[in-house]
Amino acid sequence: MEKVIDLSPVARPSASEPWKSSSKQGLLQVAVVSILPMLLSYLIGSSFQLEAAVTAIVVFLPLQIGFVGFLGWKEFGKRGIADGALVVSLIFFATLVLVLLISVLWSVIVFGGKALSLSFVSQNNVYISATTSMEFGGIGHALIGTLLIVSLTTIATIPLGLGVAVFLTETRSKARGSIRVLIQAMSGLPSVVAGLFVYSALIVSGISSYSGFAGSLALLPLMLPTVARIAEEALRLVPSELRNGALALGAPAYRAFFQVTLPAAKSGIITALILGIARIIGETAPLILTASTTNGTTFNMFGAMPSLPYYIYEFLGNGFDTSTQRAWGAALVILILVGTLFTIARVLTRKKNLTAKKRKK
Amino acid sequence: MAVSIVGLILIFLFASSWPALQQQGFGFVTGSTWDSSQDPPVFQLGPMIWGSFLIAFNGVILAVPMAISIAYLIVFMFSSRMSKVATVLIDLLASTPSIVIGLWGFLVFAPVAAGWAELLNRYLGFLPFFKVDTENFLGSPFIAGWITAVMIVPIIASVTREIFSQMDRDLINAGLALGGGRASTFFKIILPTSGGGIVGGTLLGFGRALGETVAILFVLNLVFDFNWINVTRPEGGSVASMILSKFGEAGPKEIEALLAAGLVLFVITLLVNWLAAIIVDKAQPWRK
Repeated sequence: MEKVIDLSPVARPSASEPWKSSSKQGLLQVAVVSILPMLLSYLIGSSFQLEAAVTAIVVFLPLQIGFVGFLGWKEFGKRGIADGALVVSLIFFATLVLVLLISVLWSVIVFGGKALSLSFVSQNNVYISATTSMEFGGIGHALIGTLLIVSLTTIATIPLGLGVAVFLTETRSKARGSIRVLIQAMSGLPSVVAGLFVYSALIVSGISSYSGFAGSLALLPLMLPTVARIAEEALRLVPSELRNGALALGAPAYRAFFQVTLPAAKSGIITALILGIARIIGETAPLILTASTTNGTTFNMFGAMPSLPYYIYEFLGNGFDTSTQRAWGAALVILILVGTLFTIARVLTRKKNLTAKKRKK
Repeated sequence: MAVSIVGLILIFLFASSWPALQQQGFGFVTGSTWDSSQDPPVFQLGPMIWGSFLIAFNGVILAVPMAISIAYLIVFMFSSRMSKVATVLIDLLASTPSIVIGLWGFLVFAPVAAGWAELLNRYLGFLPFFKVDTENFLGSPFIAGWITAVMIVPIIASVTREIFSQMDRDLINAGLALGGGRASTFFKIILPTSGGGIVGGTLLGFGRALGETVAILFVLNLVFDFNWINVTRPEGGSVASMILSKFGEAGPKEIEALLAAGLVLFVITLLVNWLAAIIVDKAQPWRK
């Protein structure tokens, strides 16, 4: 008897083509399982008069996990359930961070925008009390103070931070590992301790009174690790062929560094400085302990010096409506400063990446 | 250079706080009285040290899931354009000054979080963590924990992202080829191989949370009384914030004690960060 061979093809399992891009039906399914739980939990929440937070955690999240788990089970079998639960919780946590971030930015922009005006940015704090109307007085003195203190710190940090970065990349010393760990540990130095250090070293011992100079000294250990770390990354990105080429041409090490390595890493090093400035421009505690504040505009680095963070600290403590508004306004100005620095740093790094890509081609 | 700065800080703080340490003895870090009117004055910061740890624990517990989620989404799920946007947003959050977050926390977030604490107390009040016997929910370590979580999420997320993106892709692909799904790949391959780095990043965030000053000062009710685990009770402590709040009206004796408190804080954070840096360094062998 002849054996019958069944030649009809076996049906392919639906999940056998993972490389196929998602179909319209798949998208529709995803849309249904994301919108339906939202609607359902809104209905349940409003009909039982639950608080929004309770609804989100107790009703919405399990529903969402259930729906996505069901979809996963339908598409991939048993393992789809756990996958669905994981994806939902990942997106939930990430959305939570996004909501918090937007809340911070939104409230600063909205409340700060009300306070911002030309006179607010240019005038100083003389004859201003917590209840003075917003038409008078402003943050001009604090803006100048912050800029002075931060630029002095930057000038002092450039040689130190670059020195550490160069030591970490250009030498083959055995101490590099421990120095790197120490720099990392230093980046966690509490800002209040940096302030206390300068306070005990300069002000308790009577060398100096409260001054802008002491303030920028207190900011130095906070800025140094940031600058050193990012400048190290930048120097590391310089191709070793360039460095070795210069050395092979007979250049002494210092000329190879200053004429070849440093120009090649220029934008990275400027980025390091900018991010370092962004790190310290909003530091409050060290300035409260060392720089104190004044009401008038001052350019004297060896006397008490106002700053934007101190201004916020001062006016937030009062609790009146106008003083709170002043604090929001100053916060918006700090945020604008940080944002500007941040954008410049972004643009610089992007340019560097472009040239790196070109070089590869 | 960096060594000498750390050394200098230690020496100066130690020298100027020595009289206070000598006078208070070991009770300085364990006792719970802070009174400058007694003779001799008693300065003990036990509740503050514990409070700092409580807030930092709180912040880390809230921040770690958020940070790992973000890192996972950026590295393994998002398209490259969305990853870039998410990275910029996280960097933006990282560079937001703590005073701005403190301002937001005090005026916008604290009332909302107090509502959450009230809900926790109403529905989970039988747990010792959430038992409160007052009507006030503002100024609790719970709220301060949230504020520090907002600040340390970018730190943990950026370390975790780096570890994830440098992971051996062959391992993940092998797992997928064996029929593993997203969940099993995540829990059995990604987390075990990058666990060390995540712990290190978390410790870095923990150190940052311990040293947070102004933001916590605005939202926390500082009380010199041990609040062991009750996070929603509106009493808490924080060494850094306490230093700043007492600094304004302190006499010379009290200043010495505050400097000693700074020394204690510095030693604790230095240990935590040193440990974290070693772990992170070990977890990133490609940096050598």
